Amino acid sequence: MYVLLRQLHDLRRAIDLPPPSARGSLALRHVDAGSCNGCEHELNAVAGPFYDLAQYGLNVVASPRHADVLLVTGPVTTRMAQALQRAYDAMPAPRLVAALGDCALGCNVLGAARELAGPLEDLLPVSVRIPGCPPTPQVIAEHLLAAMTGQPVAS
Amino acid sequence: MPAAWHETVADALAQGWRFAGLYATRDGGSPCIRAALTREGEPLVLSCLADERRTASIVDIVPAAAWDEREAHDLHGWAFTGHEPLRPLVDHHAPTSRWTAPLEGRDAHQVAVGPIHAGIIESGHFRFSVVGERVLNLDLRLFYKHRALEAAAEGVGHVQAIAHAQRACAADAVTNAVAYAHACESALGLWPSEQLRCSRTLLLELERLWNHLNDIAAICAGVGFAPGNMLFAAFKERAQQLNAALAGHRFLFDSVRIGGGDLAIAPDDAAGAREELADLRHAIGRGWRELAFAGSLQERLEGVGVTAREQVERMGGVGPVARAAGVPIDARTTSPRLTYEGFAPAMLEQPGGDVAARMEIRGAELSATFDLLDGLLDGPLQAAGCTRVEDASPAVGTGVVESPRGQTLCAVELDGGRIARMHLRTGSYANWPLLALACRDELLPDFPLINKSFELCYACVDR
Repeated sequence: MYVLLRQLHDLRRAIDLPPPSARGSLALRHVDAGSCNGCEHELNAVAGPFYDLAQYGLNVVASPRHADVLLVTGPVTTRMAQALQRAYDAMPAPRLVAALGDCALGCNVLGAARELAGPLEDLLPVSVRIPGCPPTPQVIAEHLLAAMTGQPVAS
Repeated sequence: MPAAWHETVADALAQGWRFAGLYATRDGGSPCIRAALTREGEPLVLSCLADERRTASIVDIVPAAAWDEREAHDLHGWAFTGHEPLRPLVDHHAPTSRWTAPLEGRDAHQVAVGPIHAGIIESGHFRFSVVGERVLNLDLRLFYKHRALEAAAEGVGHVQAIAHAQRACAADAVTNAVAYAHACESALGLWPSEQLRCSRTLLLELERLWNHLNDIAAICAGVGFAPGNMLFAAFKERAQQLNAALAGHRFLFDSVRIGGGDLAIAPDDAAGAREELADLRHAIGRGWRELAFAGSLQERLEGVGVTAREQVERMGGVGPVARAAGVPIDARTTSPRLTYEGFAPAMLEQPGGDVAARMEIRGAELSATFDLLDGLLDGPLQAAGCTRVEDASPAVGTGVVESPRGQTLCAVELDGGRIARMHLRTGSYANWPLLALACRDELLPDFPLINKSFELCYACVDR
């Protein structure tokens, strides 16, 4: 166990992260509406030891009832549209919707029109747009921090 | 025709051919069912034409074809005589009673989970039939993420349509793309050059590396062992950063194309990558030993979610799941279009088929992957192409590639330069029914752990 913790400790020191200066926090609820699972892997990485968004007050929560932000991935399939709407309806106001990845943004979507209910913009009021296929953890972190602080995205 | 179809498939099985997938298509305007089989890396495609879209079911001799037949029914309107009851798989309009096992008895009840889960997880719906915390049966309803990628690929040029195969799933993107490329190239009569075989093998093993690290981290998370989860998640991140450095993308997207490959690694970069891999291997070895001595982790893995060898053989299980149960199948042993000469899959001394064995096999396979990567990076890699071979160009091109989750089949039928039909059957597709069986008689709270030890994709199953 000591070796495990030691390795993790060294890892944290090896990474150059900006200091968590901003106040406040955001609770994030993720819904996969038909992604290829790439955005999920990168979102997991953001919550993992390298990027560690928790130190900035950004946490992934288990229920939409606890969430400030609905993070949606995928082009929104017809089969996920209802579940997505219900997750949104379950959230307390004020609430934000974030489109995570190119599919959710309606870019270069693959699939047959009859199986797609999206783009997300037509279904829910999107206010945070995180581009990429999939967006890298760095890009996800930058956009979520910008949404929290109200500042424009740095890069 | 229906009876002859059953007999044809039975004859092929008797001659040692192994089922790899079944799908509905059209042949000369007639509705047609095709079954793809393999033997020693050779493909065999059997066809059954029936204008009325009805034929004999083969599930009595090939239980692995159950999901394939259900999919052909739901998406293409086929009926299979003898497949009773033919439960809906892709069709979400059917009432719950049609796709779940009947349940009665004192205190027996259903627990419905999903399609949205409580973490950063793909979408899918599970129906557990339970008494107290004991799972009697698990019925799966996937296909919430169905984008009809196969239908969307039809009519698209075969060079562009690789995106439909690759983006079916990020975790197995390289496997799916290479299987698609092999299928197209076999239909076009192309054979990859030595350089191309090397660069595709390198990409496939880089994919296996980050996936296996991800899966080990996920199993640790499944029992709430945070240090193991965090450490292997960090190793996975290092592997993905190496992907980005070598091929320009953390998931190796767009690194495979038809008829050639653009991956080029200069001598210095190859040497640097070897160094990073050696360092990563050393660090992983230390971490792995720590996991082996973490009693609170190991004791939670043993004897949980057992998949017996007979079950794997009967249901056509593949990949680490099959090998953890002592079934030594691995498409890498029969991949002439890649460079796996002399490869033999790692096997366990005691393949218990439980969560512990599925963890252990991934550790053993990492070792083989590091050896392969080290050999492939022993020198520069250049962009490469294919050569034309005279004797090949079957009507149905097939590609069979071992993904981190097991054997993946891609079948491609071309109409000139366009896709007439593309079908993708991934390792996850083959293993989902086994996951459901592995949960029987286990505790409901152990489902996440058992699930993580299989670590199956939803995206490439739903397509």
